[in-house]
This record gives sequence, structure tokens and C-alpha cells, in this order.
Amino acid sequence: MLDKGVEMLVTEDKKTSLYDEHLKLNAKIVPFGGWAMPVQYEGIIKEHNATRESAGLFDVSHMGEVFIKGSQSVEYLESIVPQNLKTLEKGKAIYCQLPNKNGGLIDDLIIYNVKGIIDDIDYLIVINASRIDVDVPFMQEMAKGFDVEVINKSDDFSMLALQGPNAKYIIEKMGIELDNQPKFFTIISTKLENYPVYLTRTGYTGEDGFEIIFEHKYASLIWNKILSFKADFGVVPVGLGARDTLRLEAGLPLYGHELNENTTPIESSLGFFVPKEKEADYNGKKMIIGQKLKNIPLRKKLFAFIMEDRQIARADYEVYIDGIKCGYVTSGAPSPTLGKNIGFCMIEFDSLSEQTCTKLNNIQESLGMNIQIMVRNKLYNAKIVKKPFVQKNYEK
Amino acid sequence: MNIPDGILCSKTHEWVSEEQDIAVIGLTDWAVEQLGDVVFIELPEVGSEFSKDEVFATIESVKAASEIYMPVSGEILEVNEELINSPELINEDAFGAWLVKIKPSNFQEDAQGLLEYNDYKEEVQ
Repeated sequence: MLDKGVEMLVTEDKKTSLYDEHLKLNAKIVPFGGWAMPVQYEGIIKEHNATRESAGLFDVSHMGEVFIKGSQSVEYLESIVPQNLKTLEKGKAIYCQLPNKNGGLIDDLIIYNVKGIIDDIDYLIVINASRIDVDVPFMQEMAKGFDVEVINKSDDFSMLALQGPNAKYIIEKMGIELDNQPKFFTIISTKLENYPVYLTRTGYTGEDGFEIIFEHKYASLIWNKILSFKADFGVVPVGLGARDTLRLEAGLPLYGHELNENTTPIESSLGFFVPKEKEADYNGKKMIIGQKLKNIPLRKKLFAFIMEDRQIARADYEVYIDGIKCGYVTSGAPSPTLGKNIGFCMIEFDSLSEQTCTKLNNIQESLGMNIQIMVRNKLYNAKIVKKPFVQKNYEK
Repeated sequence: MNIPDGILCSKTHEWVSEEQDIAVIGLTDWAVEQLGDVVFIELPEVGSEFSKDEVFATIESVKAASEIYMPVSGEILEVNEELINSPELINEDAFGAWLVKIKPSNFQEDAQGLLEYNDYKEEVQ
């Protein structure tokens, strides 16, 4: 076995405020998007199952935070994402994409309306760690001509995700009664124990849960306090390994895998999140709306699949239909919840017959279609399925 | 976990133990520890032949697939069928969960350059 599974850290990799806590817990540390992050503590499957069954605690401090303020905040945001921001009420959040002028994605984001929640700030945007250095200059460039400030706050905050059916009971024990907890996709400013935090009902696992944003100085205190509820609520620390299998089962895309600068949100099967009607112009609108309304035919599309053979599909493996090479796997892993191997693949329509393309373009007809994945020079069977692979357990 | 007497380890983390012209091959405890939860193992066909340093098997953790290299040349006599259905056994005992038994073709020469277990452990730590 070569040591490629043992990724080496480089000295420039940044460390979160919780790095020493991860080492104390014997985490295996790997490089991720310029950060030295825990990939697992006691084992990916154990951490995955704990999150589905009780609760998992994730250090997601590598994620970026951007503040938006100014008299034209909402007009500005409407010019950079396909979603309607005018209707986003105070305290509410929305999942958005950040397209370039061709409709490809620079990043995906969650935008929070934090008017009256964070002093003097209109919107909080949470962005992917690996894209901070791309997103911030892009968003600042796009801000020209608007009365708006785009402020990168990524170095100022730590962030935890507490996910799973017991998450709400842990938050309750830390001083916030169930009725006072933020509802699905909202944010509040509050105190956990005595620590000031922004508490959101969001996550990346398909489970009910929270994300907690706060100043670095509270990081170890909040982390250890939450983990002290292990005996009562089964909460365990969870690394990036299980974060990936959890989000994959929930059918959630990962930037750099399902999403990239050459793929539109419609091609990445995020059409559900793209409103048909929006007054304001935004980057890539013509392409994105054209594809959404089926006026512009898709060149490719993302599909979810389950392996029928026992082999595991991995990112970049080739995809075949009727013996024709027509795409590649974007993410693939064993699903601990299903006990089957699952994945996403991007299928390109150019080389396929018209009949096959028609089928693929119709969601209902595409379900159950047979595809093959090339694993170590042999083709293995898989079937197109509906996402998510595992039903979401959000509390709405 | 019992470490078999006289095993030799490769720098690519395979172990081999030879007795009466049969060599048993597996993956070291250090390598298994690095992989984490093993979920799939693909083993070669009985009767196939492999040269030293050739890929003969694949082992997959939740996160990634890794190739396993022959520490010595030879012909596959037997594969550990139990591991195909229960790959997690290798996490419990890396030395008990052998991968293949082979008839080595040139053991003495191939084994030169392999490390005794204690030396191997020092090397990886």
C-alpha cells in the first residue's frame, strides 16, 4: 500500500482554534482546503452513525464568513445570486449559489439576513473554506457601483456544527429552551451557557441541528461543554470523513466535486433552489434561466446513483451508458446508513443517442436507468436513483 | 493481536511470513490503522501469478481505495474468502486477517530488502 492514503500536512496549512483539542482526542489530521483538519477521531462509520442516531459535533471553523452592509445590500446581493433576497425576512437564511457570467458556479453559500441580529450588519454569508480567496475578491469587485461594503470576517470566528436528533436537547441543556431555539433556516443572537454566539438551525448532514458561530476565545470552552453531554445524549466529535458521507447520503453537493466554475446550478441538479422569476439581473442569468425554462438544452446533468455491484465508485471514475463513455463520478462512497455504495455522477449528453438523452432529461424516466462505472479497468453496474439517498430529518 | 514470528515487512506496508514454501501475505497493523474502517477488499484469482512490487489486491476504506503490492513474487494458492464478506475483520487483527497465500518463486532473493517487524515499526514511527 502506498502512503497516498496518508496525506501529508504542509506547514502553511492553517489551524483552527480547536486544533489542540483535536490532537487531544487522537484525531487523524489531514489537509483540506488549506487547513489542517480532523478527518476522523474514533472512526468514520461510528461518527456517521452517532450523528444519525444521537448527535455529532463538527469543527467547521475553516468555513468563511463575509459581512455585507450598506444602503444597497439587498440590491447588491440580488445582482450576484439567482435567489430572491428581497423576500428574505430578518433572521432567516437561504441557500444560494454564486455564479460567474457564464452561469458556472464560483461557490455555493448560505445568506443570513442579520439585520437587528449583528450590530450594524445587514447580511452574513457563510462560504466554503477552499473558496474564500476567490469569493471575497469577486464579491468585492461586483460591489463596485453599489453603496455596500463586503467585509471578509473569515479569520474572526470559530464555527461548530452540532447535528443529529439529540442536538436540540444539548442546546436546551446549555440554556435555550426548545421553544426559544431558532427554527429551520433561521439565526438568532444568544448566549450558550454564558458565551455569546450566533446560533443557526442549519447544517450539512440531513439531520436536524445547529451551527454555532462565535469568537475564537470561546472555542475550547464551547467544544468541551458540548462533548461533556456524551453520557446523556451520545454526542461524539465528528471529522471531515463522516461529514462527507453524511452530506452525500443527504444528497447535498460539495464544491469542487458536484459544483465548479464550468457547471451551472441547473446542470448540478440544484434547479429546485433557482427561482423561475426574478426581476433583477445577475451573473449568468440568461444561461441559468434559459436552462431552467428548458429554452436552452442541457449539455450535461448531475445524477445520483446506487451501485448494484459491490465495488465502490470514487470521484473521477468514468461513467458509461450502453458501452459509451459519457461522464465521470463526482463523489462516491459507501453509505453507512444504507449499507450500499452510493454516489453522484456528471453525465455529458454529447456522445449519447437522442433517445437516451430524452430519457435522461425527464426526471421520472431517468430513475432506474442502468449505468456502468469503470472501477480498476472493469465496468460495474449502477442505477440512477432519486436524491436524497437517505430521508432528511429536519425539524421545520 | 499476535504478531507472527519472523514476519518481514515491505516499505509499502505489506507483511509476509514464509514457512515450508508457502508465503502468507497481509497488510501491516500500521497501514490498517492509517486506513481506518475497511469496507471492501478485492483479492486476486487463485492460480494467478504476480511479480514482486506488482499490485495484486485493492483495499478500500470509507474514504479511499488503496492498492496492495506483492512483497515477493509468486503464484496465488489461496485467498482469504472470509475477508471478502467481512472486510472489517482486518481492522480487528491485521495479522490474523491474511490476504493471500502464495507459492513464492524466488523467496530468498525477493526477501532481501524487506524489514523485520521491529525495524519496520521504527521506520514508520
